[in-house]
Amino acid sequence: MNQIPVTVLTGYLGAGKTTLLNRILTEQHGKKYAVVVNEFGEIGIDNDLVVDADEEVFEMNNGCICCTVRGDLIRILGGLMKRQGAFDGILIETTGLADPAPVAQTFFVDDDVRRRTWLDSIVTVVDARHVVQRLDDSHEALEQIAFADVLLLNKTDLVTTDELAQVEKRIRSINPTAVIHHTERCEVGLDSVLGRRAFDLDRILAIEPDFLSEDDHEHDDAVTSVCLRTDQPLDGGRFTGWLQRLLAERGQDLLRTKGIVSIAGKDNQFVVQAVHMLLEGSFTRRWDPEESRESRLVFIGRNIDEAALRQQFDACIA
Amino acid sequence: MSLSAEPDKRSLHERIGTDWGLDAYVVGAAFLGDGLLAAALGDGRVAFIGGENTDAPSFVSVHDGACLSLAADVRGQGVLTGGDDGRLVSTDADGATTEVAAVAGKWVEPIAVSGASGLSAAVFGKTVRLFAQDGSAVATFDHANTAGGLAFDPKGRRLATAHYGGVSLWWAKAGSQEPKRLQWAGSHLNLTWSPDGKYLVSAMQENELHGWRIADSADMRMSGYPAKVKSMSWLPKGRYLATSGAREVVCWPFHGKGGPMGKAPLDLGWGFGAVVTVVAAHPKHEVIAAGYEDGAAILVEIDRPQPVLIKRPGEGAVTALAWSADGQHLAVGTEGGFVARLRLSDWRAPS
Repeated sequence: MNQIPVTVLTGYLGAGKTTLLNRILTEQHGKKYAVVVNEFGEIGIDNDLVVDADEEVFEMNNGCICCTVRGDLIRILGGLMKRQGAFDGILIETTGLADPAPVAQTFFVDDDVRRRTWLDSIVTVVDARHVVQRLDDSHEALEQIAFADVLLLNKTDLVTTDELAQVEKRIRSINPTAVIHHTERCEVGLDSVLGRRAFDLDRILAIEPDFLSEDDHEHDDAVTSVCLRTDQPLDGGRFTGWLQRLLAERGQDLLRTKGIVSIAGKDNQFVVQAVHMLLEGSFTRRWDPEESRESRLVFIGRNIDEAALRQQFDACIA
Repeated sequence: MSLSAEPDKRSLHERIGTDWGLDAYVVGAAFLGDGLLAAALGDGRVAFIGGENTDAPSFVSVHDGACLSLAADVRGQGVLTGGDDGRLVSTDADGATTEVAAVAGKWVEPIAVSGASGLSAAVFGKTVRLFAQDGSAVATFDHANTAGGLAFDPKGRRLATAHYGGVSLWWAKAGSQEPKRLQWAGSHLNLTWSPDGKYLVSAMQENELHGWRIADSADMRMSGYPAKVKSMSWLPKGRYLATSGAREVVCWPFHGKGGPMGKAPLDLGWGFGAVVTVVAAHPKHEVIAAGYEDGAAILVEIDRPQPVLIKRPGEGAVTALAWSADGQHLAVGTEGGFVARLRLSDWRAPS
């Protein structure tokens, strides 16, 4: 059975999620989508299937305190797979107040979901005009930005160039790895939001986090990020042991983790990613003899003690 | 010795079966009278296949979307199907359809039918609806979360519903009531009531079973499965509960004092690479049909662990297995749209 790509669309109330959804559905791409929404809004295109979902967030009874999944999605995705060949992809629109973690974790935890679908990316629509205020009063808005693989900084026509630069800076300090697009009315090429394979270890080809210099930080958001780098190879056992322990102990605070690591004695890149405590890692392609074997590890989360993480990371150097 | 090591050996289906390609995911299958087979399909059709091997399938378009669930109706003359179009529909073998209930936007699965009381029930999201034999509405039972499993007790007087956080026990009658709750943390997806009425067993999101002894609500945990348990089937007289979710057919002993508590299950049909996806116990003998994720299917007896291959791998995972009430017909369906029927006349162990 073919695996179906799933794209998750998040964004705070009024940011433009439904505009993006309609744009995807009305574009002449010859593809059919199943769309999972929480209330039937002004969408519904002839060829596409719209499924009404209740966001049922379930705790997994597996000893992992922050491991929640979307029970309704597990059921819906299983049901959709019975309609073989009826659509080419699945779009999940979350409510404006949703925490993206349970959606993402569903794709790590449930074997049936993993076997039949893959999480392509989390796309977050941000209202350029109101996001600053949202970041001050809503932890959901913060988490939606922190989890994003693709960020649409939307409604750019409603802000000045300076304001836009300020907003982008603030978003970058929360999420240094997402691809950011500036949009008006969510006008963006569909290849920028679909087919990203953002969770595919083989496609995390390069993490080039866009970090700001220290003095650019003007706000202390509850969610921040840190990138650890080294040119020296790491000890494989020490690195994976440390990362597993760290996520087990601090996974509730660490929203997303991504890294490409050079392990001593290995010719291939070791790629890791995690959503909270759920960690995946594997060796992927060979290091190119021409490229610098720099290890890069990015954490996005709350209460990040950069100095402590850096010290622990450096202790993994072989 | 495993069957997969005998590539030349023909399967029972190849020797005595008949098969059809129905071009859609087989969601469920059930036998009606005279060997008439009904199958609900992922494209919304229901297929009926007559009892003779030469009979061609006839199709009825029932749901706008996919069929999600199927059960033979109380009379055994037709089927009830639930769809992702929010409809519960009764379909007779002659193709006549009657809408029993419809709730826009809700998916209808699963369905339970009690031959003892003539009642039937179906899940519409968070609401379970109870129907009389003539299809008239008897009661609705509301839940805080979507109900995943449904099971009548052997007399058809109580209805158990599985959901997040445990199971609710309802009286299968009209009037407002507060259900009895059997609590256990986690998401309960599937439910079965033992033929003696003493035990309820639910299959959970966490690759394990949870059981309750009704008399004292005592908990039983049955864990160790590598995959989710999607299918459970009681052997005659409820001596064992056969389950999917492992490479073996895991059978929990429910005979004797204390049920399965403190006992190890029987592991049958060992030797296949894939995980068991569906199990169906023979209605009269201690024989289990089991289907695998790779499309293979076997028959295995409780006291004779060497299985018989009834279908080779292929055509997608086995998604449906059904015995006729007399145990003389067995049907196998897969996600690739393959349906086979085997006529076993009187049971003797095939070799």
